[in-house]
Amino acid sequence: MMINDDFIRMNSEEKNQLQLERLQSTLNRAYRNVPFHKKRFKEMGIDLSQIENLSDIARLPFMERQNISENYPYNLFAVPLRDIVRIHTAPGTTHSPTVSGYTPQDLSNWQSILARALQASDVTAHDILQITLNPGLANWGRDYKNGAEAIEASVIPHTPMSIEKKLMVLRDYKPSVLITTPSSALQLANYVRKNEINTNAFGLKTLILIGEAIAIDDRRSLEQDLHVNAWTHYGLSEVPGPAIAFECDAHEGLHINEDHFLPEIIDPETGKALPEGRFGELVLTTLTTRAFPLIRFKTGDKARIINVPCPCGRTLCRIEWLGDRTDDLINIDGVKVHKKQIQLSIQSLLDLPSDAAKFLIKKRDEKKYIEVWIPVNDAIFSDEIKELEALIQNAEKNLLENIGIPVAIRLKEKSMI
Amino acid sequence: MLRIRNLKCYYGRIMAVKGVSLSVKKSQIITLIGANGSGKSTLLEAICGLLPGWEGEITFEGIPLKGFDPPAVVKHGISLVPEGRLIFPPISVLDNLKLGAYTMYRKRQHAAVKQTLEKILELFPILGQRAKQAAGTLSGGEQQMLAIGRALMSHPKLLLLDEPSMGLAPLIVEKIFRTLETLREEGITILLVEQNAQAALQIADYGYVFETGTVVLQGRASELLADQEVKRAYLGKDYGEFYDDK
Repeated sequence: MMINDDFIRMNSEEKNQLQLERLQSTLNRAYRNVPFHKKRFKEMGIDLSQIENLSDIARLPFMERQNISENYPYNLFAVPLRDIVRIHTAPGTTHSPTVSGYTPQDLSNWQSILARALQASDVTAHDILQITLNPGLANWGRDYKNGAEAIEASVIPHTPMSIEKKLMVLRDYKPSVLITTPSSALQLANYVRKNEINTNAFGLKTLILIGEAIAIDDRRSLEQDLHVNAWTHYGLSEVPGPAIAFECDAHEGLHINEDHFLPEIIDPETGKALPEGRFGELVLTTLTTRAFPLIRFKTGDKARIINVPCPCGRTLCRIEWLGDRTDDLINIDGVKVHKKQIQLSIQSLLDLPSDAAKFLIKKRDEKKYIEVWIPVNDAIFSDEIKELEALIQNAEKNLLENIGIPVAIRLKEKSMI
Repeated sequence: MLRIRNLKCYYGRIMAVKGVSLSVKKSQIITLIGANGSGKSTLLEAICGLLPGWEGEITFEGIPLKGFDPPAVVKHGISLVPEGRLIFPPISVLDNLKLGAYTMYRKRQHAAVKQTLEKILELFPILGQRAKQAAGTLSGGEQQMLAIGRALMSHPKLLLLDEPSMGLAPLIVEKIFRTLETLREEGITILLVEQNAQAALQIADYGYVFETGTVVLQGRASELLADQEVKRAYLGKDYGEFYDDK
């Protein structure tokens, strides 16, 4: 596959023109094809012919995760269902999950986005890639596989495997690139250190960390322990996908794929744009997406835009992303869940009021899980400890199945919460 | 080379082009496709200075074209091949061609005009054979060639074509479009407005899809050719599905 990548070095005038053209046609398509957008634009009296500059986007309403759940399953699609070739589900903020779709064109765009990001990490046709992710990120696994195949690298596709199996693959298959989450990488590094495993037997040189931000100290220790260079990518696990922003070899922030996404940084409280360079909530608008356009989607991720030229020569603007959030979303090993969703599930499983619960993120053997503290009330209180335990076990199992994240439920006295 | 931002064109109080932005790169064929009345021809008229009162920006090689009359636009290197050819039927083929070099005659560049004429007759040998004939006696395809030849007489850097395939047999369309490819190879940039989306996308580098005065899609021509929505609406394929509900 030929990768036409003039865009990464486009001057700002050309880039601005291309982004404006794509923004205008995205808005026209969304208006015509998605009743949700049409209704909101009409209600706000928005005339799309008045969107004459990229900054005019500030006149449009925001989209939030809740809007996606409310339009479950297909109401936000901008093309007929028969044009969709992939349907992806992720945990939402309510009972309904978020459902997104992709046309063949969308998938081909993702492939070039991933290929671009991988090339920036010096991945070539000579590399062997191993992808190991939480099952909740299976969709990303497919995108990375496709991107790597586009640059003709060899891929060991994403398969859930034990740590011993991962080490066997690292030792015997000698992948040169490992794509995983920071949590999983740290778990692997700790295991290697504890068991005094000789990393010289690995062929690993590149570690691509996705799904979560990583503290600089953790990153350095990973690089030392595994003898690799680490790179980070930023993406959204629900919609639309991974590597929306990627690191180059300067490792000073992540370049946003501005030909596909228009970034804004806003004050999450007021919704107003923040001065350049300030940390705020990252808001994204898709510029090429056909099936599932996002218009001013509030990511809930805190970031700031770095608009000074990058030493690598790419003219794509960069973001600094430290992993902080502006909302109640919890990121566990790259999979994001909303506290409200867990609350709603527990409520229906255990017949509890939904407001009284506390959430903690804990680690067991370097693996993160969510601990939820629930106040004991008459409805669930039982003389039989066994009955209580069964009830909780059942709820935990159900949550793992439905959200894809380990959750531990602890019953506590009301006064403790 | 040509950059349009937020172009709005009006016929009386009706907005026919509703804030269109597009760009044409040097030595490429860019095509605008879309149904009748979607604003494509209006956009060409605005570029050529034939339409008063448009809003927005049109710049050609960095020069804003606002307020230019048609001769000034031609002098800057833009020529239009209008819809329906609009040749002068009673006068000869040769004189029709020479009229295309009107601005050069005024500058007394007779030798240059002669050279250009020879080149155009080389490109369309049939016009040489019919040089003395009244242009109105030519076939539709020949008239289209004459219209293109006439536009080329002023040495344009950018050639605008409005529906060159209209009313022509498929084989003739193919011939004309092959000529456009030759012109691109010679470095001429082409903006092609077409309802025959299939033919246009096959030779174009990049395309814009128009719908009721707005651009709803753009992309590399090869991508648009493969696009489900474009196929349904403009390429006549999959028509049964067109009214499918989601």
